[in-house]
Amino acid sequence: MTLKIISHGLSTSIQDLGRPGYFHLGIPMGGAMDRFSLRVANMLVGNPEDVACLEVVFLGPKIEFTKSVIVAVTGAELPILVDGEPRDTWSSFEVKAGQVLSFEFLQAGARAYIAISGGIDTPTALGSRSTYPIGALGGVDGRNVQTGDELPVGDSSNSKAGLSVDEKLRRLPDTPARLRVLPGLYWHRLTEASGNNFFSDEWSVAPEADRMGYRFKGGRPLEFVDREQPFGAGADPSNIVDGCYCYGSIQVPGGKEPIVLHRDAVSGGGYFTLGAVISADMDFIGQLQPHAPVKFEKIDMAGANSARAERKQMLEIIRKELRQEPKTQP
Amino acid sequence: MELHSAGEDAIMLYLGEETSPEVSARVQAAAEAIKPALGADLVDLVPSYASLLIIYDAMHTDHLSVAHRVRTAVAALQTRSGTEGRTVVLPVYYAAEVGEDLESLAQRAGLSTAEVIALHTGTEYRVYAIGFAPGFAYLGQVDERIAAPRLTTPRQKVPRGAVAIADRQTAVYPAVSPGGWNLIGRCPVRMFDPDTEPTMPVTVGDRVRFEPISRERFVALGGDLA
Repeated sequence: MTLKIISHGLSTSIQDLGRPGYFHLGIPMGGAMDRFSLRVANMLVGNPEDVACLEVVFLGPKIEFTKSVIVAVTGAELPILVDGEPRDTWSSFEVKAGQVLSFEFLQAGARAYIAISGGIDTPTALGSRSTYPIGALGGVDGRNVQTGDELPVGDSSNSKAGLSVDEKLRRLPDTPARLRVLPGLYWHRLTEASGNNFFSDEWSVAPEADRMGYRFKGGRPLEFVDREQPFGAGADPSNIVDGCYCYGSIQVPGGKEPIVLHRDAVSGGGYFTLGAVISADMDFIGQLQPHAPVKFEKIDMAGANSARAERKQMLEIIRKELRQEPKTQP
Repeated sequence: MELHSAGEDAIMLYLGEETSPEVSARVQAAAEAIKPALGADLVDLVPSYASLLIIYDAMHTDHLSVAHRVRTAVAALQTRSGTEGRTVVLPVYYAAEVGEDLESLAQRAGLSTAEVIALHTGTEYRVYAIGFAPGFAYLGQVDERIAAPRLTTPRQKVPRGAVAIADRQTAVYPAVSPGGWNLIGRCPVRMFDPDTEPTMPVTVGDRVRFEPISRERFVALGGDLA
């Protein structure tokens, strides 16, 4: 045991890049809400990029280490203290055995990622350590981290303090956040005016925003083209014959407030979905606080693919920079 | 057959509009044909009542290539009857002590509880979809006489193994969860266990029959009365 949770903050969970491929068993992919930040945190401490980290929401935990490790915190701007001394975010630093890592108040974003050299080494479930409490999978016995937990950390020989990521390469959403949407499955069920309103209205994050989904409010309700409801779809025009939701889908129960389904969303149901937020922007949603303003922006498949490539490119640049950084002798 | 892009790494294949064994069999047959056609580019294949969600690895292929391969694979399919798949028998202890809605459901249907049990066990169900929660299998169709609407106020906590009816669907709750279906009994078989292979006793396309068992047998099979 090398990590002791003195207090768990608001909601702290073990996450890696999740368990894709089990939707057919009703199990969502899960994993970090902001995958970009998790990957970069791991790079900073010399871990493989898919290693398990702590995902912290709004309020930082307090952690004591029983072994000296290298730590990095990325994602939300959550000021770091080691035994009361400030450290930089998006940078690697040492925490010695017996020292305590804690945080001050959140300054921007919503979720911070704490990577520890060697990675959190709890047991895997279906190939991942990501916490999915509804299915009691991963995490600490299937649940989030709690005060008093002691977490095992793997070995590492590859880590060094003093690395940092250029500010231009740190990714946090703009204000308002721009979420690009690929119109999808049931787009044709909306009237043209209603479709246009969806993209021109200003929305904001509703209080119901968690790992399952983010609800948005403030825009005009959707209007549907008249149709004969098929058997099994119910009378509400926002209902469909039960089908699967893909990751990032925008579901609109009752046609009123859109919900973007996130990492821990259920695999299917009977609500209409009008499209999907592109993967490059799903990370941003994980960094939105309640009431944050949001604009949805229409994109086509070519645009979605180039946004994906762009993000991949950005990770590659960070990878290269961190590899070159050691300028002093080891 | 209709193909629609569902996102940058997902395509939805529609094989019908309604819920029926024939459409479900088509979904199943298409799934089997698509697996080899996409090979390592396939991330997940999620069947539902009348559709199939195909999630692919967008780092290694694109929607045009996937759509083309899916179209070719599905076009080559023979029409099949709805009778393939295994038959799985699940034991159920039907009683008011573990099925809190058994009596009210019987009352509303104008039947005795014995008749409700006979109708529930007398039908062979098809696994139409798995979703909502890990291992939650949607089974249909329940005999019209015992079809019952969802509760107006869902329960906060439905126990694991609860056997329940909602409209013309029935299911066994794989884990403790909130739920609005009508509880009529309890099944001692675990419907989902991440540590076993396969993780579930049923898969989409299988047929399921329920077999009534006694309280003693339920306990002997590891059932939990709490």
